Amino acid sequence: MMSTAGGMEVGIVKVGAVSNRGFTPEEIAEQALDQIISIGNNSHPVIQAQAEAFRTEIGSVLVAYLKQAVASHNTTLTNRFRDAGHPELVKLLEV
Amino acid sequence: MAITINTAMPTSFKVELLKGLHDFTAGSTRFKMALFVATASGSGTYGAATTNYSDMGADELTTATGYTRPGQLLTSVTPTADGTTAILDFTNETWGSSTFTTCGGLIYDTGNSDSACAVLSFGGDQAVSSGDFQIQFPAAAAATAIIRIA
Repeated sequence: MMSTAGGMEVGIVKVGAVSNRGFTPEEIAEQALDQIISIGNNSHPVIQAQAEAFRTEIGSVLVAYLKQAVASHNTTLTNRFRDAGHPELVKLLEV
Repeated sequence: MAITINTAMPTSFKVELLKGLHDFTAGSTRFKMALFVATASGSGTYGAATTNYSDMGADELTTATGYTRPGQLLTSVTPTADGTTAILDFTNETWGSSTFTTCGGLIYDTGNSDSACAVLSFGGDQAVSSGDFQIQFPAAAAATAIIRIA
């Protein structure tokens, strides 16, 4: 016997847009979490709570490392500006 | 007239899948995403009947601040299975330093004569001004993935 249940579907994309700036580490971490962890509405409440706690923990780690990446990249840009003879541009990187 | 976009898998794409005309294996550089203009700026209807990138015509954003026709290359993740459902995923796609308004997108295959793979509505106009615009694909799971075959 063959079952023919099933179908082909298209998922729902989310759109992120920010004006006059790029995404912050917190915003990018949230996007990454959506890819890493998916918590089903039908999951057992205990499992949901554990998953939410895990999501929060992972989110904190991601934000911390993304901030380090931004700071490290700013160091690279600082050296490039200085090497190019434009040390005054370094001030633009200071938040 | 206004543009109408219904999130859908083109019927032609389903047929092409059965003919083996699309290969989403990671590393392929053939899938692109093009963006539609703002709702009030367009006039076409897009959805299951859309067959090709060329259908967009003047309803695609023009090359301007942050957007370049014919859209941007997507990074595909090799299809896999979640339970009994085959799923496909792409890496989130960003248009940097952009200023535009769009109401949807079209994923198409440059490796198969620009045939349409998915029509995506953004649920209304989405605007960005001198900032980053990003398409965030859903989690690669049986109930959520961008393209699913159950």
